[in-house]
Amino acid sequence: MKCVLVATEGAEVLFYWTDEEFEESLRLKFGPEDDGKELPALEDQLSTLLAPVIISSMTMLEKLSDTYTCFSTENGNYLYALHRFRECLFIAINGDHTEDEGDLRQKLRVLQFLFEVHFGLVTVDSQLLRKELRPPDLEQRVRVWEHFQGLLLTYSRLREQEQCFAVEAVERLIHPQCCKLCIEALERHVVQAVNSSPARAGEEALHAFLLVHSKLLAFYSSHSASSLRPADLLALILLVQHLYPSKSAAEEEDDDSQPSPRRPCGSQSIALRQDWSPGSSGPARSSARTETDSFSLPEEYFTPAPSPGEQSSGSGSTVWLDGETLPADASSIQIGEDTLQMLISDSPAPSCPRRIFLEANVKESYCPMVPHTMYCLPLWPGINMVLLTKAPSTTLALVLCQLLDGFSQLEAKLKEGQEARSSLRSHPLVGDLRQRMDKFVKNRGGQEIQSTWQEFKTKAFSRSEPASSGELLQLCRKVKRQLCALYRLSFLSAAPGLGGPQLPQHLQDRVQMLMQEKLMDWKDYVLVKSRRNTTLMKYPETPLTCTYLEDFPGLVHFIYVDRTTGQMVAPSLSSSEGTSSELGKGPLAAFIRTKVWALIRLARRYLKKGYTTLLFREGDFYCSYFLWFQDEMGYKLRITEVPVLSDDSPPVGMLGGDHYRKLLRDYSKDHPAEAVRCQELLALHLSVIPTDVLVQQAGELARRLWEESRVPLL
Amino acid sequence: MAASTSTETKSASWWKYFFLYDGSKVKEEGDPTRAGICYFYPSQTLLDRQELLCGQIAGVVHCISDISGSPPTLMRLQKLKFAIKVDGDYLWVLGCALELSDIRCQQFLDQLMGFFNFYNGPVSLAYKNCSQEDLSAEWDTFIEQILKNTSDLHKIFTSLWNLDRTKVEPLLLLKAALILQTCQRAAHVLAGCILYKGLIVSTQLPPSLTAKVLLHGAARRHQRRPAGGDARQERGAVLPPNVHIMPVFVTEEEAISLREFPREHMASSPASPARLQERSAPPPPKGWSPSALKEDTSRREEAEAWTWATTPESRSPDAAWPSGSGENGHVSDRDLESIQPAELHDTARDQGPELCCSLVKEPGLPRGNKDLDLSEIHIPEAPETGTSSGSFALSNVYVPDGSGPSHRESVSNSGHLEPKPPEALPVGTAVGDLLSASAPAVLTQNGALEQHEDLPGDSSQAPVPGEGLLPRRKSRTMSLPHLDSRQRGTKLSVGEEGTEPRVDGVHESCSAPSPECHPGSADPSDDGPSADSADSRVTPASWGELVRMNLYTHSVKGLVLSLLAEEPLLGDRAAIEEVYHSSLASLNGLEVHLKETLPKDEATSSTRTYNFMHYDRSQNVLMANLPRVATPQDRRFLQAASLMHSDFAQLPSLYEMTLRNASTAVYACCNPIQETYFQQLASASRTSGFPNPQDSAFSLPGKAKQKLLKHGVNLL
Repeated sequence: MKCVLVATEGAEVLFYWTDEEFEESLRLKFGPEDDGKELPALEDQLSTLLAPVIISSMTMLEKLSDTYTCFSTENGNYLYALHRFRECLFIAINGDHTEDEGDLRQKLRVLQFLFEVHFGLVTVDSQLLRKELRPPDLEQRVRVWEHFQGLLLTYSRLREQEQCFAVEAVERLIHPQCCKLCIEALERHVVQAVNSSPARAGEEALHAFLLVHSKLLAFYSSHSASSLRPADLLALILLVQHLYPSKSAAEEEDDDSQPSPRRPCGSQSIALRQDWSPGSSGPARSSARTETDSFSLPEEYFTPAPSPGEQSSGSGSTVWLDGETLPADASSIQIGEDTLQMLISDSPAPSCPRRIFLEANVKESYCPMVPHTMYCLPLWPGINMVLLTKAPSTTLALVLCQLLDGFSQLEAKLKEGQEARSSLRSHPLVGDLRQRMDKFVKNRGGQEIQSTWQEFKTKAFSRSEPASSGELLQLCRKVKRQLCALYRLSFLSAAPGLGGPQLPQHLQDRVQMLMQEKLMDWKDYVLVKSRRNTTLMKYPETPLTCTYLEDFPGLVHFIYVDRTTGQMVAPSLSSSEGTSSELGKGPLAAFIRTKVWALIRLARRYLKKGYTTLLFREGDFYCSYFLWFQDEMGYKLRITEVPVLSDDSPPVGMLGGDHYRKLLRDYSKDHPAEAVRCQELLALHLSVIPTDVLVQQAGELARRLWEESRVPLL
Repeated sequence: MAASTSTETKSASWWKYFFLYDGSKVKEEGDPTRAGICYFYPSQTLLDRQELLCGQIAGVVHCISDISGSPPTLMRLQKLKFAIKVDGDYLWVLGCALELSDIRCQQFLDQLMGFFNFYNGPVSLAYKNCSQEDLSAEWDTFIEQILKNTSDLHKIFTSLWNLDRTKVEPLLLLKAALILQTCQRAAHVLAGCILYKGLIVSTQLPPSLTAKVLLHGAARRHQRRPAGGDARQERGAVLPPNVHIMPVFVTEEEAISLREFPREHMASSPASPARLQERSAPPPPKGWSPSALKEDTSRREEAEAWTWATTPESRSPDAAWPSGSGENGHVSDRDLESIQPAELHDTARDQGPELCCSLVKEPGLPRGNKDLDLSEIHIPEAPETGTSSGSFALSNVYVPDGSGPSHRESVSNSGHLEPKPPEALPVGTAVGDLLSASAPAVLTQNGALEQHEDLPGDSSQAPVPGEGLLPRRKSRTMSLPHLDSRQRGTKLSVGEEGTEPRVDGVHESCSAPSPECHPGSADPSDDGPSADSADSRVTPASWGELVRMNLYTHSVKGLVLSLLAEEPLLGDRAAIEEVYHSSLASLNGLEVHLKETLPKDEATSSTRTYNFMHYDRSQNVLMANLPRVATPQDRRFLQAASLMHSDFAQLPSLYEMTLRNASTAVYACCNPIQETYFQQLASASRTSGFPNPQDSAFSLPGKAKQKLLKHGVNLL
């Protein structure tokens, strides 16, 4: 019984997702008077049902400057979480006790983050966001919604199954030799190869990384690139997992409420695949399959999965490989692709390459949403390479970003005080903004923005006819909207999948092939490794005789997270039927999982309330959580007060508002001289272990993991 | 109790809104929202704001009910939260600050609704019969009382406003318990509690009921008009001084738990159906003016008739007397817990059963013993004089031998000291005579108590003998049928001579089978006649899920004795008299002692080295050593406790927890009946947060175990 809805203030549905049970319950509500009348569309049913809440939420905000954040019914049977983002209201509903309020809130924040990753600064203006999320063309709308529905589903699956998504940190595959090889390959054969190619059409490769399922194998950034934020990396992993779901995902695929684009496309893409696969990789691939077979579902179920997203590039590749097709044909294929996508409504939105917006520094200045192009190149099932490039126009993004920021501040000023207008001219912020805007309009601006800006200037700065703040506010918003529209035009309308500039297909293919060659010998290993990355029985890179179990008697499980790098280490906890961890299969493993997930949940809840250490006994287990700060050398720093947040504040994590980054920023303020690292350790012990031994073990474990994590890999 | 309205309550920032909204009045398009607002707190809220909140919340509640199939119980906003209850057309909403936990917010609303229903009956009925202004005034006082009595601790725990037991002489608590047991033996009386200045001294009631009774002062102050009828006020004229009886409404469950006591009573009553008949229509006792009584009963009948007209009698005999036979062990156990100070707990439990057995063997004896209790509570009779010194002088009366005559004397003494209805005498006499039979047994007891009274502040000597004896006595009363005394009470009211009933009573108690020997005697056929013979007064009225009862209150300065009784009590003069006289002297004594012992604390808090809270989940009783004004460190303690309390409630398998942040560490543990929280106040050496066994946070469990032992909290 789950539902997610995004609506405008006027209760117009911008996006929704429901599971089968919820849909069924709606049908029962609207069904009874079954006198031949057709049921209204699901989105209309939802909007009808929830309109009073949405409208009341608006009314309350207007008149009480306060609005709903959460409802719950008797015994928490139904839980509603509400979240306002700009002028949109996000609502998540759960009616089956499987999620708590924190989970719902997290889901909404992640959805918002995904919107931002996909639409960048367009999200600043809700009218433009509405255009993106609710295109007038029905089929297009269905496609957009399905894309996000799929992402939400993927996110929920990953959060339930993968520890890295449960704690929201990136999990690395640790094998120094393999990593070294991969990084070298990424550097020479991918990033440098692309950047030195004359055919790159202005695109510049910034980052390249390899994923094995949801785990990071190797990451390389070009020298000119600013670092990629861990939260963004995690979001990219989510996108890749959505495009090329891992095997465990297939198990969950039988959710019919979720239109699955993968199956219909499957047969078609198998054919493509076979054409495309170089003969040499054939046997290797089959061996990979036998390998994976031992873990999960039949291969034919899985194998097609990588293809649909690849449709644009994949089919292109076939053409390029088989016949030396001319670029002209390629473009016609491109068009064909587009129409194909129009026709097959349940194929994902053009996914590869895809325009995404990530945080980056452009020319030394921070910009929250810089347009990038993401190329996801599948190497083998379960192993993907991601290449991030930026278009030459990023400077425009920076300028627009700064201008929008300035106008947003201005808007806030106008909102808060009437007298602000008088001092408007003299305000330093305004002067600066005026200068930059003038320059921008002169260089770039279209007719429309020019006139709006002119109007604003006369109203705001002329002494003769002073305008009211309300009027100015309107104008300010208008300017903002036009800036947003320009941003949208530059980065979304001309997105790579939609005919915008992109790396030529042959370059993508070459990179893909090179990488396949380099990794050929390792791929089976890393696929297995990804399932049993770290185990309690064996340290990653130490002699077999020495194990966590021996050194830490009573320890059942742990998760160690470095929040500065956003990476985590934990013994594998596999829940899928076929895979056995050392906890074995079935009930015991599942039981430990639920304990670990409950610990994560509680630790987050208490961290949100300012507690950095938590130790509790539940049933037969001691669960402990520690958060601390240390410097680069591992020297432990004194803990400070961490902020106490309200229940409706962004959840602790990285995807939905980077809580740890704020913690680090706060801490660094007090310790400007030190490079501060924030670390977390969650541990599960048997309750027979005395607490002092337990704490001692946790300390020792943390020290050891810290030493290991310093093996340089990135 | 509610003598003064403190001004500080007005600034309660955590209690934002409360309103009662009648959706049935706003049905049509044109109906203004304000028509549905029955009550709104704070009343100075602009009408627009009131309408906004009522309208919007009612709308959203409706919408959520539509989708979820049940209405929301909690609604959270960015700056406040609302607990919500839907009751037919009525919507109850309480708005609190966010810092209050969700659960507590809902509990406050439940509590408030409980109060209202208890004193006014179902809300629809109340608003039909009383003016909105009257009820609003009542709401105001309810809320004012809650705000006045809600400390920081009460914002976390649903705990009753009880006397800090660590600061009260345990014997006084026992004495209070004994008074209650004595009263329980009177006809119709089910159970009760004793309050001192609005705080619980002793209670036999389940926590929810105790909470409601606690507000009695507030309810009465308002000259309220109960829904049941208006004859009550006049009745006050003929009631003993400082005694009030008002109809109240308890929930079905509360009624069941209350009636677990009188089950025995009913079981044996078929033996004398005639008596029951008598009880249901008691003839006027000797001393009463017949005219007054007549008027009284007729009015009462009017009221009754009205109630019955509105509410068809729906209770089956079974419902009226729910099966609860053989509950003795259970009841006495619970009761022991409720009334005993922690230190005495074990002794009592150990001795209880064995004594029960001996009592069963000699059905005649217990009566005498019980009456001993009575004599014992008579001791602090002095307060009648109004001066505290008097108590010592008068109590001496009992020292010599505790024989019947002296008791009688003492009762009549008190009669001299304070004008009292003459009818008091026969009862007193009867009781005194009964006492004489087994008086010698009291001697040591009396001696011990005497000693104690001479040295009110010094508990080093007196409690030693007392501890052994008193619990025993208590368990005896508990395990033994109160019906004898009840019937005696009835008879006293019937037969006017003091002697006859006494004989009768003794005879009956001997001949009637002891319920403990025949737990099965409570079969339906036994119930039949009692239900048949009982008219509407015996079978309590019920309205919806509420059951009508009477609340008898007797206040002696700051001390209030509150008893819940079956409805016939109001018409049963003799029973009232019996209750009154059996408790009057003891209450006076108790009041004096409490007054003397209570104020002398307060100064101890400065030397605290730790904070603790110990919460009894089943009794809703909280023990803590926090000062009145919280320091920052105390506030951190409270915050942590609030969070953990919520988690303990939600995660049943969670039973130990240690939290740490930069400035403090708090340890908590819980089991199914208790929660304990502990914080060390020593300035915590600042740590890194890195797991370190030397961190003081991890030594808290050991410290808690050690330090709390002296508060009677055993965590081992």
